[in-house]
Amino acid sequence: MTPTFPMMKVLGTVSLVCGLLIVATNISTSAKIHQNQEIVMHESVEHLLPGLQKQIVYGVEDSGDLKILPTVEGENVKRFFAGYDASGKLLGIVVEASERGYGDLISAMYAYAPDRKIITGFQVVDMRETPGLGSRIASDPEFAKNFTALDATHPIKTVKHGTKQNPWEIDAISGATISSRAVGRMLAKSVQEMVPVIEKNMDRIQRGN
Amino acid sequence: MSDNAVACHPATPPPKGADNPFVNGLWKQNPVFVQVLGMCPTLAVTNSVANAVAMGLCTTFVLASSNCLVSCVRKIVPKQVRIATFIAIAATMVTIVDYLMKAISISMSKALGPYIPLIVANCIVLERAESYAARRPVVKATLDGLGMGFGFTFALTCLGSIREVLGAGTFLGFSVFGPHFEPWVLFLLPPGGFISMAIWLLIFATWRERKAKKAVAAARAEEEKTQMAVLA
Repeated sequence: MTPTFPMMKVLGTVSLVCGLLIVATNISTSAKIHQNQEIVMHESVEHLLPGLQKQIVYGVEDSGDLKILPTVEGENVKRFFAGYDASGKLLGIVVEASERGYGDLISAMYAYAPDRKIITGFQVVDMRETPGLGSRIASDPEFAKNFTALDATHPIKTVKHGTKQNPWEIDAISGATISSRAVGRMLAKSVQEMVPVIEKNMDRIQRGN
Repeated sequence: MSDNAVACHPATPPPKGADNPFVNGLWKQNPVFVQVLGMCPTLAVTNSVANAVAMGLCTTFVLASSNCLVSCVRKIVPKQVRIATFIAIAATMVTIVDYLMKAISISMSKALGPYIPLIVANCIVLERAESYAARRPVVKATLDGLGMGFGFTFALTCLGSIREVLGAGTFLGFSVFGPHFEPWVLFLLPPGGFISMAIWLLIFATWRERKAKKAVAAARAEEEKTQMAVLA
C-alpha cells in the first residue's frame, strides 16, 4: 500500500527546511549582491570617464524630466550617469544600452561628450556572444578605436570591416559581423532616445543637481 | 518508522577498493574521465581555466552538501518519493550556491551564466545521492561528495587548460606564448571542447591500459616464480 501520509510528511518537511535555507541565504547575501552590482556599475563609469571624482545617477521620467536616483537599483529603469572632475566640471555622460546580439542580449555602457556631441568610450557589461569571435566586441583593441570619437549627430551605422569612411560609422570586426552590427544598432537607438533628453536637461546636469 | 517507509538501506556491500570515498571520486572513479558524466557543463564552461575552476568548486559544494543531507534523511524517506526529495535537496543547494556566487563575484557569476542553476540537472549529483549517499553514513557520503566534486574540478581544469592555452594563448589570463601567437579560436568553440575531451580521454585510457598490462605482467611473473619454487 502506498504510504501517503509518510510521503506527505517527509516531502512537506524537506520542502519547508529547503525553503527556510533558501530564504536565509537570500536575506544574508542580498545586501552584498546589491553592493557588488553597484561596484561593477560605478567601476564601468570610472573606466569610461578617466579623472572622475563624483558621479550622479539620473533617472529619466516619462515626461523627459530627470530625477536623481540614490542607487543604481532596478533592471528596467531608464537612467544615465553624469561624471564630474574634482572642480565639479562635467566630464561626460555614461549611458546604459542593450541590444540583441548573436547569442543573447548584449548590455553595454558608452560615454557621451555633450559639448562635442561624440561618443568617447564603449564598454560591454554583459553578453553571451561566441567566445573568440563575437566576444571580441569587448576585447578587440581595433574595434575599441571606433569609439574614441564616434559622431553622434548622424545616425550611427556599422559598416563592413575595412570600409569605414565617416566619423559616424563603426568598422565591424571580421568574423563577428552580427555582434558588431548589434553594437551599431544599440548605439544608434540609444543615442536617438537619450541625447534629446540630455540636451533638454543640459543646464541641470552641468550644475549637478 | 513504518515498514515501507524505509527504502534506502544498503542493499549490497560496498565494492572492493571503495574504502576511501574521497580518493575514489577524485581518481579511481573520476566523474568525467572514468564515468563520463556531466558532459554538458564539462564542455560548455571550460573555455577558460577560471570558469572551469569556479564551476568545479560550485559543483563540489552542491555534491558534498546534498550528499550529506541525503545521507541524514535516508532512513525516513519513503522509496516512492526518494528521487523527488533528492532533487529538492540538490535544487536548494544549487540556489544557495547561486546566491553565494553572486555575492562573491558578479563577473564570475555572469561568465558561468545559466550553468550554475543547471548543476541541479547534472547527472553526477543525482547519481551520487541515489547510488551512494542514500546507502552510506553521513561522513562517508560527504567525503564521497567532496571527492567526486574535486575530481570533477580537476577534470574541468584539465580541459580548461588545453582550451585556454591553445584557444586564447593565455593561462588564467596571463599570456603564455607572447603577442605573436595566433590563437586557435577553434578550441574556444564547441568543437574544441569535444577535441580536448577526446585528447584527455585518450591520455587516461592509454595510461590505464598500460597500468593494467603492467599489473597482468607482474601477476604472471609472480605466478611463474611460485611454480619454479614448487618445482625446485
